[in-house]
Amino acid sequence: MMAAALALALAQAPPPQTAAVADARLPGVLIDRRLAEAVPLRVGDTVRVRALAGRGAPVPFVVAGVFEREADPNRISRNEMELRFHLPDLEALVPQKDRVDRFAVVLEPGANPDSAARWIEGAAFGTRAYGSAALASESSATFRVISRFHDAIGIVTILASAIFLLCVMIIRVDERRRDMAMLRLIGVSRSTVFRAVVLEAVAISLAGSAAGAAVGLVAARIVNAHYAAVYDTTLRFALVTPRIVLTAAALGLALGVGAGALAAWRVVAVPPQKLGER
Amino acid sequence: MIVSAFLKSLFRRRGRTLLALAGIAISAALLLDMTMLASGLTVSFGELLGASGYTLRVTPKGILPFDSDAAIENGDQVARRIAAVAGVRSVAPVLGAQFRMVRGDSAGEPLFTVGIDPASEFLYRLTGGRHPGPGEVIVSVPLANDAGLKPGDRVALAGDLDVSLGRARATRTYRVSGVGDFLYNYAGEHSLAMTLADVRAATGRGSDVSLFGVATAPGVDDAAVAKRIGAAVPEVSAYSTRELMAEMDKRLLYFRQLATILGSVAMVVTALLVATIITIGVRERFGEIATLRAIGVRGRRVLLAVVTEGLTLAGVGCLLGLPMGLWMAGRLDRILLGFPGIPARMTFFAWEPRRVALAMGIVIAIGAIAGCIPGLGAVRAPLGQALREEAE
Repeated sequence: MMAAALALALAQAPPPQTAAVADARLPGVLIDRRLAEAVPLRVGDTVRVRALAGRGAPVPFVVAGVFEREADPNRISRNEMELRFHLPDLEALVPQKDRVDRFAVVLEPGANPDSAARWIEGAAFGTRAYGSAALASESSATFRVISRFHDAIGIVTILASAIFLLCVMIIRVDERRRDMAMLRLIGVSRSTVFRAVVLEAVAISLAGSAAGAAVGLVAARIVNAHYAAVYDTTLRFALVTPRIVLTAAALGLALGVGAGALAAWRVVAVPPQKLGER
Repeated sequence: MIVSAFLKSLFRRRGRTLLALAGIAISAALLLDMTMLASGLTVSFGELLGASGYTLRVTPKGILPFDSDAAIENGDQVARRIAAVAGVRSVAPVLGAQFRMVRGDSAGEPLFTVGIDPASEFLYRLTGGRHPGPGEVIVSVPLANDAGLKPGDRVALAGDLDVSLGRARATRTYRVSGVGDFLYNYAGEHSLAMTLADVRAATGRGSDVSLFGVATAPGVDDAAVAKRIGAAVPEVSAYSTRELMAEMDKRLLYFRQLATILGSVAMVVTALLVATIITIGVRERFGEIATLRAIGVRGRRVLLAVVTEGLTLAGVGCLLGLPMGLWMAGRLDRILLGFPGIPARMTFFAWEPRRVALAMGIVIAIGAIAGCIPGLGAVRAPLGQALREEAE
């Protein structure tokens, strides 16, 4: 199995012909669905193709089919339209002969990919052989960087949320200092007041987490719809999975407990006689 | 006096004020970073493109610099036609190729190599030695350091590999004439520069050129010159720095939009934080405000005091957020520069005073608006009802 890639230009003239008059002897080419829609082109039309790196005249091909490109995040930023040829047809178009970009190799069941890779590198000088996992790791460098960036932004967001929650809790507790003083003076214990404040913070953070999950779901839909339109892709840019929702809720809960405990401590540490003071 | 009394209330509730300031500072820092990120890479890319004075790039028709193997045929003749276009000051040809350093029987990793005209070169700055002559080569600083090369040393380079025979093909020995700081290299990249004629000879690409860098005459509009080049030489595409920046913008659409989304979230958080603090602060002082109104203080003055309180919170938060944002930008930049192939000289976060001032102005305006709402509520509340509520 072999693969080759090259930038190609569609010749401006003559215009594509219809299936009825297409020459059956012409070699076939598969057209990216987006290109077929943009030109427009249909199966059976004839196109004249020239390699940007080539020197020859445009060569006619008949559109043998229209394909939908795999949703590959690696290619999303350039988002180029693609044509697919039989290898000899492509080779005839480009100046470099007897050359491929890469081979995909299927191993016998039970064969060790690493030793096969080393054998290939030894046999074919100047080549690099990668197992599927190594290839995925090599080609996902961009996404690892994006993931680290998102993590950093996530930490800042968590910090801002924690401060916001703490602020709200302190304000809410401060508002009711006189009520708290009253409760303490009629015999309600410090621990009961402490628990009440923490429970309130937990309730607020859980309600906030639920609202956040709902907003997140809606936002993810909007983001996916927007980028699907921008890139004409089926890739999903934002995912809200149960695990993500649970993680966010757990974080919210932990922040709530922390903020509630801090706010409650400010109240229970003060003698009740002083709580009512302005 | 009313304003200063309201501001003093911020000191009365120190813990709360400090927390609010911390929240606003983080939001302001995030907004600042997102503002810098929204245009950072594009601006930085533009500065890098124009750093050497060669502000235009001329490539084979329809492709961007080094986006494919495509080359401009009859490069020397095309160079003369471009040089004849009005407004063109200098034309610098570049041919890209891959070479390998040969040591004994083994050939190393591919080295990105550019063939240049030393008289009109814009891809590197010499850090030692001199520009290459025939049979000479410039090595990048990381390559010089890692391979222990210095001007005067000799290196064997192969322009091709013979896969079946298992050895380098077309190996030739070159003299290192200098060490260069390559402007467009990613961190630690090993690369070479040699004369255009040497690259052509080693790769068998007789008259090819991958791209031209074009410097325009002072005071001439780059975009207009690019258009004229496109008209005079139809087989090429000429891009001005602005057009290449626009293309970069397209490829980095994700970051711009992410920056917009996160910036908007930061603004909402700031607004909520300031509004919450001010609303509750005003609510707590409802009685004081009612008393002030009862003794004849105008509602406008009370409103001004409440708005000033919001402005002060947001303003001080911004001041604290500025250094925090710059520190965060540095950390985030280090993460993002890990992208494969990003030139080490670029930055994702550009300091543009106008945009930064706008972002901080927005935070301060949000503080003022957030103060307006509870302030208006306090001054519009019926006076009798407000006094009665306070007495109860």
